[in-house]
Amino acid sequence: MMLRKILIANRGEIALRVNRAAHELGIETVAIFSEADRGSLHVRYADEAFCVGPGPVARSYLNIPNIVSAALISGADAIHPGYGFLAENARFAEICADHGLTFIGPTPDVIAKMGDKATARALMHDARIPTTPGTGILADAAAAVQAARKLKYPVLIKATAGGGGKGMRVVRDATEIDHAFATAQAEAEANFKDGRLYLEKLIERPRHIEVQVLGDTFGNVVHLGERDCSVQKPSHQKLVEEAPAPRLSRATRERLHEVALAAARAVHYTSAGTLEFLVSGDDVFFMEMNTRIQVEHPISEVVYGVDLVREQIRVASGERLAFSQKDLSPRGHAIECRINAEDPSQNFAPAAGTLSHVALPGGFGIRVDSHVYTGLQISPYYDSLLAKVIAYGATREETIARMACALAETRIEGVNTTLDICRSIMRDERFLTGGVSTDFLPNLAAPAPLGL
Amino acid sequence: MDWELTLERARRAAEFCAAAGLARFRVEEDGIEIEVRRSPRPVRPSTAVPAAESSAVPSLNGVPSPETRAPALVKAEFVGIVRLARPAVAEGTVVAGDRELAYVESLGIRNPIRSSGPGRVVAVHVTDGQPVEFGQPLFSIESA
Repeated sequence: MMLRKILIANRGEIALRVNRAAHELGIETVAIFSEADRGSLHVRYADEAFCVGPGPVARSYLNIPNIVSAALISGADAIHPGYGFLAENARFAEICADHGLTFIGPTPDVIAKMGDKATARALMHDARIPTTPGTGILADAAAAVQAARKLKYPVLIKATAGGGGKGMRVVRDATEIDHAFATAQAEAEANFKDGRLYLEKLIERPRHIEVQVLGDTFGNVVHLGERDCSVQKPSHQKLVEEAPAPRLSRATRERLHEVALAAARAVHYTSAGTLEFLVSGDDVFFMEMNTRIQVEHPISEVVYGVDLVREQIRVASGERLAFSQKDLSPRGHAIECRINAEDPSQNFAPAAGTLSHVALPGGFGIRVDSHVYTGLQISPYYDSLLAKVIAYGATREETIARMACALAETRIEGVNTTLDICRSIMRDERFLTGGVSTDFLPNLAAPAPLGL
Repeated sequence: MDWELTLERARRAAEFCAAAGLARFRVEEDGIEIEVRRSPRPVRPSTAVPAAESSAVPSLNGVPSPETRAPALVKAEFVGIVRLARPAVAEGTVVAGDRELAYVESLGIRNPIRSSGPGRVVAVHVTDGQPVEFGQPLFSIESA
């Protein structure tokens, strides 16, 4: 039976996105907001809204008791977590179930398994999904030398408890390994109180390509093709994404789709999810699975003509997927540019302030998912995403030209944004050729200052 | 329920409360709510509260120091259903410094709402059984 009322546990453009999908299905919506977001569009567009806490996210958008209480007293029967915040919190998904609320996403068990990188890697390995060649935990530097010889240099020393590059070292030959092992171990001990290390083959200049999957509770799983997300900031956050991936051999593309379907089936995946891969030549390596709707989902939607959030809601309502794999085929090309309140010349540091003027683009083949308007205050508490400009067309060339025009029309004044660097990317020779690797953006010179 | 752990948390909350010079301290974590209150000081007339002391430590619900006399708003911190205390306070009710005015029922937990200084209720902004959100005004109290 279709859900009747959904609480949207998020803010910004994704809260609007879910609100629209729900209303189109005739489902009522409940917004939550922090005191800093009182004037937000997601509050205005929902049927009801509850303030759940002050500005800082720990006390508002992550305030599980107040969010669940708001769902219960408003009579909602489900919670959509959007992305970020509580979207990949298995405990939250469990708490929803404990209170009789449908969590719109996969099961808590799948969220937990895929959220733990080592578990996910082992699970994928068992399912014969290719992961980066590597070792288990190494006893000492001598074991590392032996393993590295087998893997062939360059290799990556990684801390099993690691994150954010801590306890990680690139090793290019045997002379470096002793020193790298010792320093990585010390760093891991200091940061994570766990100095256990392992080796992974370093994939040089990889492309980041991910595959969108969608499963229902009857065991049906389909893929909606791949997205190339290789244009990433030095922090590995994505800036420009496109679908399909350009300059990919037919064999590699098909292999990515097959591997993603096999992986999703291996965990009995229900809802929308994404499998991220590193691609190097024709080699494909599983990186991680995101058990949520992603920021860049619209490019798959416009290429496949499927509303992914609507499907998430239908699946959570217990309905079957309305289509099978043979009903799905990509049409044309799509690109998304993320316009963030960030300063690209300061290593993309987040910017805060009041938007003094906003003019968003439009026209044939342009979709803009955004929550901003002139006068809106951009608070330092939250994600810096201001707008997603999505262009789609029959060919990649047409789509890039359309995006360049859309970005030229766009005005977001009052804070530093990524608008200029996105404009530069649409003119960059290497991007125009297609198939750039993840070192593309870090190597791209910062654009000329505003005023040009 | 791990009582050992709960008692240890309560003991530490009490220590913190005393060390910080707070009259009342409440913490909620992992679904467990701990509230500690220090015993009242020796009785003294409420009008004789030294101004320096009352302004040095801002009260929890923002009741202003006696000089300002503007009614203070007692707000909800929890999203839930408000239940007025019985006998219910009404406009004009004079409350003691630490009277339970209502509680907000949230996920089956009663979160008490108390006055944080003696005063007179000048407005009740909610009705019994009404849903409330974070920051919603419940009572206005004019300090005595």
